[in-house]
Amino acid sequence: MSSPIESPVVGTVWKIETEVGNAVSVGDVVMILESMKMEIPVEAEEAGVIEKIAVNEGDTVSEGDTLATIL
Amino acid sequence: MTDPESWQPELEELSRREALAEEMGGDEKVSRQHGRGKLDVRQRIEKLVDAGSFHEIGKTAGSATYDEGGNLIAFSPANFVFGRATIDQRPVVIAGDDFTVRGGAADASIAEKQIAAEAMAGELGLPIVRLLDGTGGGGSVKTLDPEHQDGPNGGDGRRLRTYVPANPAWDHVVANLSRVPVVSLCLGPVAGLGAARAVTSHFSVMVKGLSQLFVAGPVVVNRLGGEQVTKESLGGSKVHTRNGAIDVEVTSEDEAFAVARRFLSYLPSRVGELAPRAEPTDDPDRTAPELRATVPRDRRKVYKMRPIIEAVVDEGTFFEMGRFHGRSLITGLARLDGWPVALMAGDSYHYGGGWTTATAQKATRFVDLAETFRLPVVHLVDNPGFVIGSDNEDAAAIRHGSHALAAIYQSTIPWCSVLVRKVFGVAGAGHSNAHRWQYRYAWPSGDWGSLPVEGGVEAAYTRELAASDDPEALLDEITDRLNLVRDPFRTADAFLVEEIIDPACTRPLLCEFANLVAPLRDRDTASSPYRP
Repeated sequence: MSSPIESPVVGTVWKIETEVGNAVSVGDVVMILESMKMEIPVEAEEAGVIEKIAVNEGDTVSEGDTLATIL
Repeated sequence: MTDPESWQPELEELSRREALAEEMGGDEKVSRQHGRGKLDVRQRIEKLVDAGSFHEIGKTAGSATYDEGGNLIAFSPANFVFGRATIDQRPVVIAGDDFTVRGGAADASIAEKQIAAEAMAGELGLPIVRLLDGTGGGGSVKTLDPEHQDGPNGGDGRRLRTYVPANPAWDHVVANLSRVPVVSLCLGPVAGLGAARAVTSHFSVMVKGLSQLFVAGPVVVNRLGGEQVTKESLGGSKVHTRNGAIDVEVTSEDEAFAVARRFLSYLPSRVGELAPRAEPTDDPDRTAPELRATVPRDRRKVYKMRPIIEAVVDEGTFFEMGRFHGRSLITGLARLDGWPVALMAGDSYHYGGGWTTATAQKATRFVDLAETFRLPVVHLVDNPGFVIGSDNEDAAAIRHGSHALAAIYQSTIPWCSVLVRKVFGVAGAGHSNAHRWQYRYAWPSGDWGSLPVEGGVEAAYTRELAASDDPEALLDEITDRLNLVRDPFRTADAFLVEEIIDPACTRPLLCEFANLVAPLRDRDTASSPYRP
């Protein structure tokens, strides 16, 4: 079952650090958001393969938005 | 030959009735409870408390049926089991719902038992642990149906009427928050009054997948037609540990009992008593050289606060509460040279440590806990201010933030702040009560002001930037100029920060704080009653 990686903050997608099909381990940075003038890394909370990336660089995101899904 | 004066027959009757009570809702209902992967209330109590320490009260209370000769022919115990026990050799009150008797619903209860449990905890000054598993409140509307008068209070027509609601024991439930530690473990579906009892506590726990919490369950919600929910999507532990209703999510009932015992180990048994010191297990003079390179020099980069916490407190003693709510502030109990303290710390991974409405609510409740039980506060500060933008304005962050500031400024408990990195604005000013004597240290990475330079330049130099041919170059030029004075030593020159320290020496200084203030913890009492 795929599980979402949710945005921890309201912010802007600054850099996407992975792509669909990449294997990730717990703690791997999948993207970096910008919030409060800081770079906020978003880490995988479980291991798996990136199934989908739901945002583009420059997008504004809210807390809890799905940024990507892991299979 | 039995002495005719002996009360032996009554003692035998007592044993028989106690044995009936131990059957709870009967074999079928108890098997069904176990079949759901749940322990029954008596197993729960056994696993939670010190072996053999449970002394039950009101065990034989329930719904009894007698024949014409006055003989007991049927008995269904009340669905609430309570009494005294010990946890780590310290006396406590245990109050457990029995789901096997009418799903723990209040219409199978004897409300006086709940009242007695809460009153006993308050009167004797004993922590209370509630084991919640049931549907709470006034019970099913079936209680209004003349065809269904089979509860312990049914059959006589007393229930054939509605009532103006009054939550049983609520005066005690509320008063206990300012008297004794209150722990709620949600061990099954908990609705209505049960849900309110769950959160009217100092520490609440849900078991993932096994417990859900809601004002009203999915059947009632789905009937409205606006949304279709499951009990997990409506009130699972993921929902409630993120919204702050519940403090901690665990994966088994055993783990729930373990965290309840651990929470209580840091607290006094009652307000007015001081929290016990544990045998120190870690060198108070231990330094942590790795902390000299923990905070990135680049102000845009974040760092992990939890390893810093672990490095400064007694090894293995940090007990985090509310991890998934208001995440820019980490809160938990810990020990310093054996003394229990309330520790809070900014987490730059969430809004750079900036405060949202959720953070403010979390801070208020945490400081109130420390204040109520006289736990000195240690604050590892990294707070760039309230989070800015529409989301936070819409959520009334300034009201909730000001509420938190009031809790901090009203507090009288000894307080030590370590300025690890950012301290900005009104929220930053809430790192402690600035008008008390400041027990305060700053790391060389300290960075403070009313507004961070990078956020404030455009606002302060609007006219100059608008008039410039090359506003970007001017912006950089002004920023560089302002950043030159952004140096903690300049602040220390003016004694606006008392002491810049080597981060490696943070632990010895905090242990000194804990030892110095331990005798002062009861100099004052809580400034206001605790509210959930």
